[in-house]
This record gives sequence, structure tokens and C-alpha cells, in this order.
Amino acid sequence: MALDAHRIPEEPYYRPVAGEVALFEAAYAARMPMMLKGPTGCGKTRFIEHMAWRLGRPLVTVACHEDMTASDLVGRFLLDPGGTVWHDGPLTQAVRHGAICYLDEIVEARQDTTVVIHPLTDARRILPLEKRNELVQAHPDFQLVISYNPGYQSVLKDLKESTKQRFAAIEFGYPDAAVEAEIVAHEAGVAAATAALLVRIAASSRNLKGHGLQEGVSTRMLIHAGRLAAQGIDLETACRIALVLPITDDADVRDAFSAAVSAAIA
Amino acid sequence: MPDDQSRQCPAGQIPADTAFSSVERRLVAYLVALWRLRVPIRHARPDAAGNPPRRVSLSDGLIWMPGTFRGVDGRRSGALFRAALVHAGAHLRFTGPRFPAAGLKPLQLALVSLIEDARVEQLAMREHPGLLRVWRPFHVAEPDGAGTAPALMARLARALIDPDYRDGDAWVAKGRRLFFEAEGEWDSPALSRRIGGPLGNDLGQMRVQFNSKDHVVEPAYRDDNLGLWDHGEVPPTPPSDAETLFEAFRTEREERGDGRPDEQPGEGATPASLSAADVPARAVGEEEITAPPWHYPEWDYRVGIDRPDWVVLNERRTAPGDPADIARIVERHRTTADRLTALVRSAKVSRPVRLRRRPEGDRMDLDACIDAMVSHRRGEAPDPRVHEVLVRRNRDLSVLLLLDVSASTGDPVAGGGRSVLSVEREAATLFAQALDGLGDPFAIHAFRSNGRRDVSYYRIKAFRQPYDDAARARLAGLKAGLSTRLGAALRHAGRLLERQATHRRLLLVVTDGEPSDIDVADRRYLLDDARRAVLALAARGIDCFVIGLDPQGRDYLTRMFGARNVMVIDRADKLPEVLPTFYLRLST
Repeated sequence: MALDAHRIPEEPYYRPVAGEVALFEAAYAARMPMMLKGPTGCGKTRFIEHMAWRLGRPLVTVACHEDMTASDLVGRFLLDPGGTVWHDGPLTQAVRHGAICYLDEIVEARQDTTVVIHPLTDARRILPLEKRNELVQAHPDFQLVISYNPGYQSVLKDLKESTKQRFAAIEFGYPDAAVEAEIVAHEAGVAAATAALLVRIAASSRNLKGHGLQEGVSTRMLIHAGRLAAQGIDLETACRIALVLPITDDADVRDAFSAAVSAAIA
Repeated sequence: MPDDQSRQCPAGQIPADTAFSSVERRLVAYLVALWRLRVPIRHARPDAAGNPPRRVSLSDGLIWMPGTFRGVDGRRSGALFRAALVHAGAHLRFTGPRFPAAGLKPLQLALVSLIEDARVEQLAMREHPGLLRVWRPFHVAEPDGAGTAPALMARLARALIDPDYRDGDAWVAKGRRLFFEAEGEWDSPALSRRIGGPLGNDLGQMRVQFNSKDHVVEPAYRDDNLGLWDHGEVPPTPPSDAETLFEAFRTEREERGDGRPDEQPGEGATPASLSAADVPARAVGEEEITAPPWHYPEWDYRVGIDRPDWVVLNERRTAPGDPADIARIVERHRTTADRLTALVRSAKVSRPVRLRRRPEGDRMDLDACIDAMVSHRRGEAPDPRVHEVLVRRNRDLSVLLLLDVSASTGDPVAGGGRSVLSVEREAATLFAQALDGLGDPFAIHAFRSNGRRDVSYYRIKAFRQPYDDAARARLAGLKAGLSTRLGAALRHAGRLLERQATHRRLLLVVTDGEPSDIDVADRRYLLDDARRAVLALAARGIDCFVIGLDPQGRDYLTRMFGARNVMVIDRADKLPEVLPTFYLRLST
């Protein structure tokens, strides 16, 4: 079957925080285009993987970047000995075969690239392939999902208003301490007490948001620290490597965060 | 560590790394990380007798830090400053209102303070157990020390924090027992009085030596506890410092727009502004003229002609203010300033532009290559432009920020205590800071008018001048007054901006109302004149944008500048955030 490579065979672990699973199921039932908003490392990608598995759909993921052209999404002609041959891009494949297409970090792509999704996000659900003179009608199971990390950067890199308004959004953030500890304990394979300590350390970094750090540490970074600790690295060093060093190069902020890590550990 | 046990530094030679200022930034961030505490810190200066303060002092939400701890080895001073600041933070977090001092003897005051110190530290360690390692190294009292009050108190202090310390003295043991038995009450400030009072009494009855005048709190990282006590009629001696508490501001309150108008130099004057007072203050609009007058035409819409040489414009010198005011503005808007710095960094390295179908370049344009092959196979001549090039376009624009400083800007902003002018000043400060980092040539000018024969124009920061303390002083010294003859100011700004050799030249105007002047009754006259000036500048390649602080201003601003070049801010106190980001968006 087409897109077999994109099917998700096993359940990806996802710990629901609020009613987002039910919300997404309702949105999918209406094939509504969805936007997952939130800072990095909060579970947006894991969530969509989980939902794709749950809904039994293949998931075509595109990591958007500045160099991406419309052809990279939609497809292009390539050459073979006989002449030119059309190759569908990932978006077109998802549209034809009824997958969920996930455009990750869509603001990284240029605005003239992202507008190709517009005809898919209104009632018509079509994808025009001008170069082939073809109008692809979306498969009934197709749905478009994008992820979007709003932040101060959005002053310089942002979605067009006309793009934003085509989507419904679910917001992701750092979960409550108890839930976050549960996630860290499961994903990193550490004891609950260690996970809880890591979440408290994360709180210090989130206090520094806007005062030296652009973002606090994400759940993903805590999982990294936990994984190192599970391998026997002492917790303070694990935090230094997985949390302090990657998040900032400012010597004073590093010192403050390291000292806060030290203060959290008995 | 007690001063008499520390290594002595040669008199007058304090190693550079013992200064608080060298570690201030990281320790301030440390407090934010631990408790989200953003507390103003003041550097305590020597008192009238020239003695530097020996301990941290807390009063009314301010932390007074000694610039250095005398006699402390450089290597230990970093740890000492850290312990001191965190201890102060613990007080701010856990200590309640001042205790009334009435009826307590000096020994009791000392002991209640000691218990309170121990209490807040234990609460802090509940949240952050690692703080034990920050504080414990400074407790060096030994069980067999002298029987003086300071020694006994130091031993008690150690007993209350150091779980491994054993002391045989009955009084120390009693204090320890009372404190730890009451662990369930550590949240309550009343505990310190309940335990400290009797303990102080005990010491008094034991007739131990205690000289309250010379008493210095030990260990050295703890504060002098003056901020704990309410002495009723007699206020506690404030730390001697030229800055008075009127200068103090609370960061959070400022963010809610709760401040007071800050452009009167008389109130809470700092030493630096005394030098500003040396310059004889001139009335607004009558400052010293720095160049021969300029003559500009003015458009009379009623007869449809430019009246030649109708307006006289004088460039005047701004009375300097205190550049420290500008530093305080940046501090108050620390979050926005940091965000701007990050934005500026990414704006500097602009997104590369991909130019396709080039005859030369460092990569292949795939689509063009395929088209070329297709043409080739069809027997046509292929288009040779099959390359792609990524170009980082360097920023090539200069900007002139023109501020309206007419009398209406002296009015308070809607719903807040500050004046429009002070909001403009804050916005200009953040703007200047951002542009200083960005590298675009920029200038900040201001204008007002007093009839057509006297339009005043102020060059606060000229294009070729650096953004230095002199420029900051001029920005701080701006005052509000007189009227708004916008057209003439636009023409003059345009003339100055035209001299810039950059590809793009932006004129950003900030105004709070319609153009008006005392010798013009017709509202439309100056408005149309400003419009004509904008059109003339546009014809010469200068883009004009206006940020209006009058929520009802969109109509007249659109008439002058055009719909696409107007931004109206509904709440004037948002201007400091909006102005720099507006510019960055315009210029990317």
C-alpha cells in the first residue's frame, strides 16, 4: 500500500494533559486543519504521532526550513532516460492517499512557500499542480496539521494572517509539575523522586525566561538529563550537560542556572 | 567569616575581583532563578566617617550591598556575596512586616534577629536543599570558644543550621532544642520573638559581655537585621548613601505604569544631576541657538501656493539631564530590552535571499536545470541561467526618529502617572539601544514651535555622533512645551536625512496630536502643510512613518502620511515596546 513507510506500528507514549486527545479527534472527524502551538520540546510532535496511530492514519512529516520551495512540498519533474517524470512531493502524496500531513515548524519556511497549502485548507480541499495542469482532489481521509512556535521571533518570521486564520489551534505548554514528572520518569527511565527533582530544576530555568533566557528548559531536555542520570552520571553533571550548557552561552546566566541546579540538589 | 580570622589585605589595595559589581549580574540572575525575585540592589557607600558598611542591609524592599567585604580574600568573596544575597532573598521571601522593638533589650533584639535569620534560612532550604552548602561554610564557631555574647551567638547560629555540629553549652543546647521542637511553626514569623526573647533574657542574666554598639552580626554573609525592626518614633538609621529612598522604584510596580512623572530634576536629585543644575536652566523654546536659522516654505491650501521663507527654524541646544536616568529606564524595561537585543541579533544577520535562474552562482537551481534539459531534448536552445545564489543583503538604511515635545506631551498618559514625554523618552531609549546594536545609522531629534518665526529643533543624537553619555544626557533632559508645527520639522528632518548615503532612508515620527500652532486658527492649514511636506520627502526617496499616541488620531494621521504609513497605539505606555519592534519589522 502507498505510504506504508509512514504508518505508525506501535503506540507512541503520550501523556494527555487536558482534553487535547478528544479535541483532536473531533477536529479530525471534521478534517479541520489544525495548528499545534507551543514552545519547543513540549510534546507537539509526539502528540501528532500518537493521534495518527490512534486514528490509524499514516503520518507524513515535513520538517520545514528556510530553503524549502513550493516544489519541495508539491513535487517536481525529474529526468530519466525516457524524458521527464513527475514525482509527487510529500504534501501531494498525503493528499492523494489520505494521510495526515504534518508541517513541523512552519514559520521557518518562507511565506511564498507556505501559501501552497491555502487551497487545501478551505472547503474545496484541492491541490493545484500547475506544472502538470492537474487539480488533485484531497482524499477524504487527508488532514493538514502544522506546528508553530510563537515567540519573540515572530516579529521577524511569522505566518501570514491569511494562513493563520485557516487553522484551529491547540496550545501546548509545560504540564503541571506532577504530570511533567510522570512523563520524565517514563521517558527517561528514572525514579519518580529524581524526575520530580528535575522538574523543580526546570522551574528555576523558567523563572529566568525573559531575564537572560529566551525559553526555560523544555520537557525534552529534562528527559535527556534523566537519561544521563539513569546511565549513572551524577545528577548535577547530567543537568549541566543536558540543561545548562545547551541553553545559553552567557557566562553569568550559566553560573546562575548552575547555582540554582546545585541549590535544588540536597 | 569573622573579620579577625580572615586574611588581611594590604591597606588600600583591594584586589579587583573582590568587588560586588563583578559578580552582580550573575547573582541577580541567581535570585531570579531561585525565587523570581527581581529586587533593586543598591551599592552601599561609605558613611560620613568614611567607613564602608560591613554587612548587607535590607530596608523596604531594597538590598544595600557593600561594594566589597573588607579583608576578605578575593577567592572567597564570590562565595560570600552569593551567600549574602541569597540570605537577603530569603528574608524578602519569608520575613513579614517589621517587628516592633519596643520593650526589648539589646540582647533580645540580637537574639530575635538571630532566630529569624535561622528561620528564613531553614524555609529557604526546604525549597532548595542545596543552599546548605552555600551558607554552612561560613559558620566556623567552635564549641570551646570564649564565653562572650558574640561567641555564644555564633555557636548558636551554627547549631541551628549545621546538622553535624555538637555543642555542650547548656544555653546553646536550649536554643537548639526550642528551635527544632518548633519546626511545625517555622512558617510563622512570631516564632522568632517567642524563642528569641527568652534566649536573650537568659544571656543577660548570665552576665555575659555584650556591647550593642560594636555588635556586628556573624557570620559575615548575614545582614545587619536593621530592616527587621520598627523602632517607632526613632527611625532606624538608613544606610548612608547619597541616593535617597525616593529614588527607589519597584520593578513590578513600574511595569504596571504606577510611576511618577520623572522629568523634574528637583525631586530626589542624584549627585550626578547636580552638574546639570550648573548649566543655567533655560525656558523651553528659548534654549541657546546653535546654528544660523533655517527658512522653510509653508503650504497654504487656501490659495494653493508654497509661501516662500515663511517659517524660521532654529536648532537649539538641549539642557542636559542625568544620563543615569536613561540607565534606569533600560533597567526598568529589562525584559523588553533583552528581547530586543535578541531580535537585533537576528535582524543583523538578515535572512538570505535566494536569487534563482542566474547565469552564475554557487548552486544549481534544480527547476531551471530540468527546464534546460527539457528544452535541450526538444531541440531548443536551453536557457543557460541554471544557477542559484544565496545573498545576504546587508542592511542599507538609515533612520531618523523625530519626537514631538510640545506642551501636550507633558500631560499624563491615559490611566497612568507618567507623562507622554516620559513614555517617548523610554521608547527613544530602547530604540537607541536597539539601533546601537544593529549598526544602522540613526538619529534622534525633537521639535516644538512657538509661531511660524520660531520653530525649535533639537538634535539629541545626530547621525555622526555616537550614542554616548552626552546623547543620553540630552535625551534625559528633554522637556515638554509649546506647539506642534509639524511641516517645518519634517522638512528640516528630511534635509538632514537626505545627506545619508544609504539606499533607504526612513523618517519615523512620534506625535500625540494634530499639528497646531498659536498663530494658526484653521485646523486644516498645518495638517495640509504637513501632508505636502511628506509628499515632497517621498518624492526625494525618504519614507515617512508616523506612530500616533492619540487613539482618535487615525484620520488626521492618514491624511498626512497615508494609510499604510500610520500606526496608532491605543495605550501610549506601550510605545517603548512597540517602537523598536515596529522599526525592525519595517526594516527587514
